[in-house]
Amino acid sequence: MESPVTSLVLPAAAPFPYEGPEHLQGPLTAALSRVVDPEVSMSIVDVGLVYGVTVNAELVHVRLTMTSAACPVIELIMDEAEAELDKVVPPELHIRLELVWEPPWSPDRMSSGAKRFMGW
Amino acid sequence: MAGRALFAALAGVSLVGGIAGGLWRLGVAVPDPLAFAWAGQVLLVHGALMICGFLGTVIGIERAAAVNQRWALAAPLASGTAALCLLLGHQAAGAWLGVAAAVLFLAVNGLVVWRQRATHTLLLAVGAGAWVVGSLLFALGQGGDAVFPWWFAFLVMTIAAERLEMTRLMRRWPAASATLPAVLSLLLAGAAWSGADPRAGGILYGAALALLAVWLVVFDVARRTVSTHGVSRYMAICLLGGYAWLGIAGAAWAAAALGWPTRDIALHALGLGFVISMVMGHAPVVLPAVARIKLRFGAFFYLPLAALHLSLLVRLVLGSFSEPLRAAGASLNAAAIVFFAVTVAGAAIAWRIQYGAEGARKTR
Repeated sequence: MESPVTSLVLPAAAPFPYEGPEHLQGPLTAALSRVVDPEVSMSIVDVGLVYGVTVNAELVHVRLTMTSAACPVIELIMDEAEAELDKVVPPELHIRLELVWEPPWSPDRMSSGAKRFMGW
Repeated sequence: MAGRALFAALAGVSLVGGIAGGLWRLGVAVPDPLAFAWAGQVLLVHGALMICGFLGTVIGIERAAAVNQRWALAAPLASGTAALCLLLGHQAAGAWLGVAAAVLFLAVNGLVVWRQRATHTLLLAVGAGAWVVGSLLFALGQGGDAVFPWWFAFLVMTIAAERLEMTRLMRRWPAASATLPAVLSLLLAGAAWSGADPRAGGILYGAALALLAVWLVVFDVARRTVSTHGVSRYMAICLLGGYAWLGIAGAAWAAAALGWPTRDIALHALGLGFVISMVMGHAPVVLPAVARIKLRFGAFFYLPLAALHLSLLVRLVLGSFSEPLRAAGASLNAAAIVFFAVTVAGAAIAWRIQYGAEGARKTR
């Protein structure tokens, strides 16, 4: 399930692994950052729920996780992510969101800003 | 769409029947209970309608949405139908259908554990097990002293497990994870012991509730998110208010076991102050997810919340000194719940006006 990491574009500040055209990385990251987990008022990027984005000639493939398999808003967050991506993804590309549970989410994935907010 | 309407109707009938039963118990006649052939039934099963019929059905729908499996809806369908049977006086059918609902819900939680083996998912499953035990005792004809500790353990453990999951975002997660199962084990021990020795079991159960309140105040993310804004802040305020009532419920539960006249405080600080406050907090987020109804959040959500907490003060504090005040407080509790339902309906209409019918249909 893990993507090969050989051709990853991963700048120092990248919040998640990204593989694809450089000009799309900023808009895709911004789109996913607009999706907020309402319980904690933080974006799914800050919480570390985005495991990776891969873009090829046909598809934008986003792998997301959730902190809990018992969370009823999973589908809502997925739908919002799709709606936000739809605003920035070129029309010729399809969007595929994949919910993954491996590796399990851990607080290590949170951004430094999110950790600061939560008192780390 | 028809399915959603059916589930809304089942949960709604349970809630209305449960509230009516609760009010009739305190001598508030709206409408006159003698006008209904099955009023006695409603009086008897107030707790079953509120906990299993309404909350069990709502939680069952929520969990079915989480696992995204159609068969998982069998649990809330069974609990809602069980409530309908109880309302119509089919006591045995309702009680045993309630057992089936709890067992189905336990199976759904088994799937959650299979997908994600973690402390909080295991605690959710144990909470579902508590629902099974409580419903079995109810079906076997046991009284409230034996049944309620288990039914409330189901609600309390469900909430506590979901809060534990959120504490992982905070630094103190290892300590939180280690102590919560210990507190909840005490709660279950208190529930089990209550059947054999209501005094000792009740004291233990009350102590566990109070300890849980302390745990939640210390570890929950609500203390951080209360400084945010919008719906996150509103949720945090609902949670923190609920934790205060949970602490009061714990003390009152133990006091009732010692013979003090605090049973109404124990049951309703817990059921309304803690659980319904939690429901009010999560409704703006969970309803769009499970019922596909978009809501426009606004400061007006604080009004029914304030009404709930103020009406509880009337019922549980002032009502300790006067039965008419207790009954008036209970009527205000019911009014606060109706006020919240109207607020939610208004928020749905407000969203539709703002974004149009097309957007409402898209609600995803």
